[in-house]
Parts: sequence; structure tokens; C-alpha cells
Amino acid sequence: MTTLVLLDTNAYLRLAKRVRPLLGKKFGQKDYVLAVLKDVQNEVLRQPRLQYLYPWFDADELLAQERLRNTIKLSKNEKATLDAAASVLHGIVLMDLQRFMKHRRSPPSYTDCRVLAFGQIRPAVVVTDDLAMHELADLTGSGDVWHGHELLKKMLSAKLIDNDLVRAIYAALEANTLDGSSDLPASWPRVKHIAFLKVFGQSTAP
Amino acid sequence: MHKVIHSASIKSALAARGWTQDQLAVAVGESAQVVSNWLQGKNFPRPAKLLKLATTLQLGFDQLVMPEADQPVIAFRKKGGAKTTDEHIHKAMAMAALLKPLVAYLPERRALRTLLPTPTTDYALLQSAVAQVRRKLGIGPASVLRYERLIDEFRDNDAFLVPVLWGEKQNHKNALHILLTSDKVTFVYLNLDTHLEDFKFWMAHELAHVYTPELAGKDEGEDFADAFAGALLFPQACADGTYAKALQARNAAAMTQVLLDAAHEHTISLNTVYLQVQAYSQAKGLKPLPVKGRQIHAVRNSMRDGLVSRALFAASPPDANELIEATNHVFRSDFFVAMRQLLHEHGTGAGYLQQVLDMGLQDATALHVALVGDSAR
Repeated sequence: MTTLVLLDTNAYLRLAKRVRPLLGKKFGQKDYVLAVLKDVQNEVLRQPRLQYLYPWFDADELLAQERLRNTIKLSKNEKATLDAAASVLHGIVLMDLQRFMKHRRSPPSYTDCRVLAFGQIRPAVVVTDDLAMHELADLTGSGDVWHGHELLKKMLSAKLIDNDLVRAIYAALEANTLDGSSDLPASWPRVKHIAFLKVFGQSTAP
Repeated sequence: MHKVIHSASIKSALAARGWTQDQLAVAVGESAQVVSNWLQGKNFPRPAKLLKLATTLQLGFDQLVMPEADQPVIAFRKKGGAKTTDEHIHKAMAMAALLKPLVAYLPERRALRTLLPTPTTDYALLQSAVAQVRRKLGIGPASVLRYERLIDEFRDNDAFLVPVLWGEKQNHKNALHILLTSDKVTFVYLNLDTHLEDFKFWMAHELAHVYTPELAGKDEGEDFADAFAGALLFPQACADGTYAKALQARNAAAMTQVLLDAAHEHTISLNTVYLQVQAYSQAKGLKPLPVKGRQIHAVRNSMRDGLVSRALFAASPPDANELIEATNHVFRSDFFVAMRQLLHEHGTGAGYLQQVLDMGLQDATALHVALVGDSAR
């Protein structure tokens, strides 16, 4: 049985342009398969500025076809369970907002909750660098959640990507700044010379 | 916040499945006593168990948890032809919940507010009401109602204006009214990607909701708000003069021009002037102007004004700092002043802004940087 690895919006946008093919290919001992939910795609498509910043999302025919090919089809029963779980996860967030509003975090959105809820209907891991999502998953016991760099590490171990690509992804995210803010999630620099020791070597920082 | 399980809804779901409480207890991995305590309101399940209840019974949050007594009141100013779905309502209710932490950072609430106790669309009574409102605003019966006076009136009634850029077409709503009943605070989201000629009408419409909180969110509230906005912006004294002038016009085109001149003078739409003049003639038992509504719409559609956002800002979309400045100084709203404090004190990330303003993450990130200096993704 495969385990779906669901990418949140940012995780998908960070990887899709650089890792090809990305979706639908089995990797690792547990037969992971990367996927992106329709809700995530809709989030990008309804935001004009995201489309402006990532024009390839819609314009790249190969990527669009890849997403279409790998659309996850749900039974009526699965959809009902997913809707209920997402609704309750979001309700839990809104009931306890302050918990998710500190340490530079933001309350998970309804779309975030739908991604997280997917683990209630199928074996799935969610990939997100949003720490509030990690907290919500811990609080509700709603399944495995990986940071983006953890996925990168697993893809590297499975030889789905190579050292050069890891270096290129780090470099691109470090260089990609918007309004003075780097696109590199906070946890990535911390593991750069630990999880990817063979790629980047020892840290030279004091 | 004391939360209670919606026992009636759960019992009904159990009955539909032919289950007992004991079977439910086994399914969610709890003792029968624990489940019984939930259903009696003695205890509330922990988050993981609440999720388990949801997936076991396929019930959403609203079906599992009793609503609070003071639910927020939501009213949309929809775009023409747009349908409000459950998704829109849930999203607006989530925005209301997200606004609650901001209340502590807003200025102290005022003790006195304006309320219209008997809202009605009856012409004479409505004219009497708007005449009083106009006197309160310090303007004469036929004077142009300036934006500044409208804006101040929101402020004087603890209604915080929230200018947003929701696009001209993409969004289903052009304005959103959220009344946090328990906190007695109103937030009025105004889409600046709106034609100039419509904007003042929408503001007046939203002001009507502020004056009639018990009607906001109901169909009759929308009807009243539309009637109030038209009457406030172009009251009887204006309609009277314009009607007389229009009757002297030689043909329909000249008559339409009289209405257009009045619309330009008041910075409102031709349609609003037309409707007010016709309502006036009907109320007074006079002959209606011999101009058809479809002619008015054709003229209006052929000469649409620009967007408010274009008039206010150098570029579209505007720089985040420009939006903040306009909110603070043009709309005289403390929304971003309070938001800046909240973000600083809580250390909240850009995703909060994204959700509370219903905007894209990239725009929210830029706004977050402008408010607190840097941004967490």
C-alpha cells in the first residue's frame, strides 16, 4: 500500500518547478507518492498575485497535466469524512486561536485543515513548513507531518533527487526574497549542515 | 470560553446509524461514562477525541459543538448576480473569529451610538429618518454628503473600516459587514476595486447596517440598507429639484443629462438618482419621468467611472505602506494601528493577515513586513 505525501501550497511551489517528475512517482521503502490536493491548486488559482509570481503554475502544460493525472479521486464516504474532519480541525483552531498566533505563526486556514484532514481517510503524510500546522497535528493526533527539508532528505535517500539538486533548491530559496523576506523556511538553515552533511559539508559558522 | 457538545445532533446521528452511546464510546476509544459526560455537557472532549467524533459520525464542527450565544452577525454586499454559498458564510464566520483577538487593541468603545429603532422603507418615514441623520451629520437637506462625514460617522459608531483590494471581478462580495455582538464592535470591509460612482452608495448601505444591527444579515436588512443609502445620498429635497428640472428637458436625452449632472454633483451613480427621483414622484402622486430604467442602465454602462483603488493609489495593487496610510488617514480607521500592536505583541505571522483580510499570501507577507518589519512564512 502506498502512502500519499501531500504538499501544502508553499511546499509545492518550492519544489514543482525544480523536481520533475514530482507527483505520482513511488519512492522510498514505504512507497511514498507525492500529491497535491485540489484545494491547494484552487488556492493558487484564486490568488492573482500568486499566479503573477508563479506564472508557470498555470502556464506550464506539463505540470498542469501532471497535477491532473494525479488528481486524487474520493468516494462519497471519504469526502464526507474529509469534510467533517476539516471542519472540526478548523473549528479547533478558531476555538483556541491564541495558541496558533505566537512565535511568528499563524492560525492554520481551512485549506490547511483540509490537507491535514486527509490523513483521516487515507495513509498520508503532510509536508509543510508551517509550524502551526505541526502544532495542530500534534494537538489533534492527526497524523504525520514533515518539514520540507525532511521530504528533501527522503527524496535524496531514495535517489529521486541528487546532491546538485538539493544544493540548487537551497540556493534558489535563499536567493528568493519577497519584500525583504527570504523564502527559505526557518527550520531549513538549521538542518543544512546536519541532515545534508554530505551535500554541504560541515558548517563554517562559529 | 465554555464549550458544550451538541448532544441533540449527536443523538440524532446515533439514531440514524442505529447505534447506542456505548457503541459510540467503543468507536472513539473512550469509556461509556466519558461519552455520557460529554453529552450531558459536564465535560468537553479533548481535540483529538473531537476529531475522532467528527470522523466517526461524519459531523462537522457546527453539528458537534453548540454555537455560542452571541454569534457574530454577517452581511454581504454581493456583486450583481453572485450567490452566497455555505462556503462564503463559513469563511466570513472564520474571519469574525479571527477578528476577536484584535478587539483588545482597538480604542475604547463609545458609550453613545446612533440606532434606528424602527427601520422602514416607507418613503415618508424613511425621508424623515434620513433628514434626522443629515442634521446629525451637520449637512443641509439638499447638500452633497461628503465622504469625510460618512467616514467619521462609522468611527463615531465603533465601526472600523477595512479597505481591501478584492479585485473587480474575482470576489463574490464588494463589502462585508461583521458585527461581533459580544464585543459590540463592527468591521466593515470595503473593496476598493469598485467603481467610484458606486462606492459612496455602498458606504451608506453599510452605515445603515451599523444603525440597524438587529436587521444586519437578514433580507429585510438588505432592502432597508439599499433604501436608506439612496435616500441619504439623494434625499427628497434633491429629488424634488431634479424632478422639476428634468421635466423641463426637451427630450429623453436631455432629461437623462439632468439626472447625470445631479449624479456627478453628488458623486453617486445615475441609477441612484433615477431611482430616487422616481420614488419621489410616486410618493407624491406625480407623473414618473418618461425615461425607462433600461435606458438609464445603457447610459450608465457606457460611461463607467474608474476604480476607487486607481484614484487612491499610484500603482495597482498598491504598495502595502500606501494601503496602511490610506486606511489610517483617508478612512480614519484604527484597524492597522491595532493590527500592528497585535502582531508585535503576539508575534503573529503573515498567514493571519492573509485570512483576516481574505487576501493572497504574498500580499499578506508584504503587508506583514510593512507592519512589523519582517515576516515569517
